[in-house]
Amino acid sequence: MTAPTASAVPAGGVAGGGAGGVGPAVRTATRGGPREGGGGTRRRVLLAPVTVTPSKPLTPSHLKGLLWTDTMFRATAPLADVTYRYSHTTYHPTEQTLGFWEFLDRTRGETDYTAMSEEDIGELYVRFRAEGRPPTAAQVRPYAEAVEHTGFVHPASARVLRLWAGHYARLGLHDPGLLAHQPPGFGLEEMVEDLVTSGLGLDQRDVGGPVYLDATRFGLPLRQIVTADGRPNYLACALRELLPLAPLYHEVVVLYDRELDPDYQLLARVLSARGTVVHRVPIGRVPIDGKITSARHGGWHRHTVDALLRSVGEDHGPAALRLGMRLYFIATLGPGQHESFRYDLLRKALDRAERLLRRAEEAPRTDADHALPALLEPHRRGHIHIDPYRLTASLLGRGRRSPGLDLLTTVYL
Amino acid sequence: MTLTPELLLTVAADRLRATRPELAGQLDLSTPEALCSAREAVTASAADGSDGAVVVTVISVFSLPRWVVETCRFALSLPADRARPWRRSFTRTLHLAGRPDNVKERFRLDHVADDGSMAWVGPSAEGDTTPLRRLLRTFSGTRELTAWAPVTVEVPSPAPAGPPPGRGPVHRDLYISTVRVTVSDVLVQVNHLLAEAALDGLVRPGDRLTIRSVPRLAGLTVPFAALRVDTDPHRPRQLRAYAGLTAET
Repeated sequence: MTAPTASAVPAGGVAGGGAGGVGPAVRTATRGGPREGGGGTRRRVLLAPVTVTPSKPLTPSHLKGLLWTDTMFRATAPLADVTYRYSHTTYHPTEQTLGFWEFLDRTRGETDYTAMSEEDIGELYVRFRAEGRPPTAAQVRPYAEAVEHTGFVHPASARVLRLWAGHYARLGLHDPGLLAHQPPGFGLEEMVEDLVTSGLGLDQRDVGGPVYLDATRFGLPLRQIVTADGRPNYLACALRELLPLAPLYHEVVVLYDRELDPDYQLLARVLSARGTVVHRVPIGRVPIDGKITSARHGGWHRHTVDALLRSVGEDHGPAALRLGMRLYFIATLGPGQHESFRYDLLRKALDRAERLLRRAEEAPRTDADHALPALLEPHRRGHIHIDPYRLTASLLGRGRRSPGLDLLTTVYL
Repeated sequence: MTLTPELLLTVAADRLRATRPELAGQLDLSTPEALCSAREAVTASAADGSDGAVVVTVISVFSLPRWVVETCRFALSLPADRARPWRRSFTRTLHLAGRPDNVKERFRLDHVADDGSMAWVGPSAEGDTTPLRRLLRTFSGTRELTAWAPVTVEVPSPAPAGPPPGRGPVHRDLYISTVRVTVSDVLVQVNHLLAEAALDGLVRPGDRLTIRSVPRLAGLTVPFAALRVDTDPHRPRQLRAYAGLTAET
């Protein structure tokens, strides 16, 4: 197996920073070469996808987002310094995660999660959601404090993340630090103060009210981000991470579920107000039998990533599996969410991947360092990052030259 | 003056009659329960009617003394023809969380506090306030009041030419009950008291108010010029005195 060319290396001098610092742990893919060397002309891009809560199995919708982001990351790396920020530490303080942990400990006590499957833990999550009453601030406070002060991850979520790391490895997905402690650059209070000072926040906790993100000057409605008793939602978590990070980049790309569009419009406005160019990339979910359902309700059984890999994984080599998955989830399904998941089309994409790989191996080698940027460039459109849909769909175009092995290994394998 | 359930009922019934004299004869205001039903019916018909008016406030930072002053200033700034429909709508006011500086480009703010911490819009037809209400959120002040040291504020005169004709500036005490009363409750209850006092000429520019906290108004023997009486959510169908403006001191 050829290692991905866009390998991840720590950004120069940037290491894990504690809450309150401005240097959160990030990983940046660089592709050093004589053309770019030393001049400092390469532009800096931050990819900030919404994370998947580690409380359930990965589903086709999740996988689509992960493959989409991975392809954008690896295809942009030859053209720019691109950072893939994906920190579970940042989003653990949300109610759905802390509440789940509190539920597990309250109802199960000391349980060994190390042998459980994603599905087992997902079933517990469904039970937690079915309880139907959100946890109080007092109930989740010990967990919130542990996340902030000790980098705590509940063993059930740690188990899920380890299993996901296995899927990532098998699918050739760059691991942006699933198991790493990557605290956001701003503490909660720092984030609120930053927003309020810049006219983009409204903090009414002193009178028993919530904290709002206030982009009303742009005509966007007031949005609560922290409850009166101090519980942040995922938008508050994202702001803790992105407010200090975004100004370090020429371009920030946020990738998210289409349903979150109003929130991400807000986020983009707030980050743009700081002078950063922000691109929103909403990614449609993958309906199962015509229905888009949230994983919180369960019912994913035949369609977890684990089940999917078991179903098709053995019929194809590792390279075809990686390429075929990307052809299907990016090019076949596209950015929308109209097409239901179909095993037959996935298998077709895997067969197609086998053929593309064969042809690429037979073709004469080119000098990747020079040919690749020229190949990728047309898929940038008006921005720095590469559009994964355009690039991947171009592999399938009739009458086109087959993609070279250098492109496939850099971006898809 | 001693506060009793009977007195509270009289105060509440008088407010209803004075606001809607044309309906007074048809309403049963003999018990707290009957009064509540009558008020709900009148309020509902006022909301439907074309002559109703509502005021919207936009609150960024809440400070009780400043809010008391600005509430009076706003009510005193209204010409009679704008005040009348609002008065007939029981000075109905919707309190929203928001930053006046962020909405001033899109919405006409009729009155803004000097420090920009709060603003008033209206009185206007309820439908006209929909865009602003969609953009902002209902003000949520769930914190219960705690006692404070008395603080005296002055309602500014619009012009330095001297007090308006009629009478010179006076001083009153404004008592606010604190037990199981949240900041949101204050916005509702004290707003009605002050707005109506200003519209009725009880509070005028140049007057001084000493804002005093008290657990309950029961037992106060001072003479009140105006009382704010409303149903007590913790004792259903019972009335409670939330705040009172004393006679001149």
